[in-house]
Parts: sequence; C-alpha cells; structure tokens
Amino acid sequence: MSVWQEPIPSLTGAWLIGVQGRLDHTLSPTLEATLNQLLAQQTMHLLVDLAEVTYINSGGLRCLVSAWRKAQQQGSSVTLCGLNGRLQEIFGMVGFDRVFVIYPSRAEAQAALHTAV
Amino acid sequence: MANTVLTVPGRYDQIQKIVAFVTQGAREAGLDEDAIFHVELCCDEACTNIIEHAYGGEDVGMIRVRYELLADAFKMIIQDNGRPFDPDQVPPPSLPTVPANSAADSTLSQPQIGGLGLHFMRKLMDEVQFSFNAGGENTLIMIKKLATGGNS
Repeated sequence: MSVWQEPIPSLTGAWLIGVQGRLDHTLSPTLEATLNQLLAQQTMHLLVDLAEVTYINSGGLRCLVSAWRKAQQQGSSVTLCGLNGRLQEIFGMVGFDRVFVIYPSRAEAQAALHTAV
Repeated sequence: MANTVLTVPGRYDQIQKIVAFVTQGAREAGLDEDAIFHVELCCDEACTNIIEHAYGGEDVGMIRVRYELLADAFKMIIQDNGRPFDPDQVPPPSLPTVPANSAADSTLSQPQIGGLGLHFMRKLMDEVQFSFNAGGENTLIMIKKLATGGNS
C-alpha cells in the first residue's frame, strides 16, 4: 500500500500521483499530505491515478475534495483517472463524479492534459 | 441462525479488524461481492462516526459488533457507550447535481464533505435503526437483504 508521485514529462507544473491500496484511514493521511505539499508548491495540474485503489470511504473522498477545493482557490486543477466500478458507484452516489473531471485511464487523462495546456 | 460477537477498543486501527469480521459474516450469509462491499463501507463509516462523534476521539471507549445470519438477510449490530446519537440532527448532505464548471450551481464551489457516512448507510442498507438506552448504550442495527440488494 503506497502513495507515489512523479512529474508528468513534457508538461510543466503537472504531477502524477498514484495510490495503491485502501483509500481509508490507511492511506488518506499520506495522500492528503502529498496533495497539500504539491499544491503548496503552486503545482498547476495534479492527476491522481486511482486504478490501484481497492476501496474508498468518506475519509478518502474528503481528502480528494479538500484538494480539489484548494486547487480551485489557487487556479490549479485536480483530475482523476482509473476509477474501478465500485469507486465509480461511490462517486456517483454523492455526486462527486460531477465535481471532478474523471478519465477512464491514465493515458487518456495525460493526453487530455497535454491538449488542454 | 448464526450469531457472533467482537469487542475492540474504539481506535481507527481497529476498524479493519471489525470490517474483516463483519464481511466474513456477510460472506457466510451469502451476500454477493457488491453487497459485501456495501456492508464493508457502511460498517467502516459507522465505526468512524462512533470514534469521531460518539467518543470524540480514539481510546475513549469500546465498540461491540455482532452479526446475525437471518433467513433472507444479513444483520449487524454495532454498539458503543459514547454520546447519544440522533440521526435526525444530521442533515442530508447537499450533493452537487449539475456538471462541474457550471456557474449555475454555487454548491459546487463548496461540495459538502460532512454527513457522507450516514448518507452511504441510508443508501446502501435496506434498514438502518439507531437507538439509545438508559444504560448509556448506543445501538445501530443495519440490515442488508440477500439477493435483491436493497437500494443499491
């Protein structure tokens, strides 16, 4: 279980954040710290890949929405990709699929970011 | 009818133990994998609420979890000795209803992030009952029916 980060090649100010495991009390604090650190550096685009997230609870959602809110306030963006069927169900149930821009895969998200910038 | 009990300290690092215990029971009851995930999430949210709100922190009190395998449903009973909880005092979350980037919905600039746990319980379980007795005990009963999958 881990949270990792790396700059997105050829896209200035964009970072890819990967999450592997359960996005609950186990990983949410680490993800929150990672996102806060990147936003504090005025990172323009954060792409969070959730393809390897096996579970999410309200704490995980809260962590992502808090980052989305901070990003909105400073003119940055938080984009998500790779949600499995269960995560899609949970996001849809609380309307967060309308808050976030979500792509099916990392490749599609990165292509969209390159096009948009 | 099977009937099993687990008692643990009210700490976040105990929630996975509780969830593992309950989902094993849900599997024994014959719930499908989607329904087991719903049980897992609702049990997690209930225990988180107990620690955060009923006890107001970790290691303040115990959480007792019991489940029953009914003929047509899985029933879990979660108890604590924290502050009484009245679900009617928790407003339903104000959830966004229009696409992102729409200036028409001001709620999107401040998406609601409280009350989600209770929202999941009400949406994903077939029955949710809260009670509080004179002995200072909160009891939450959640029932997930077999096969039909409730509201999910």
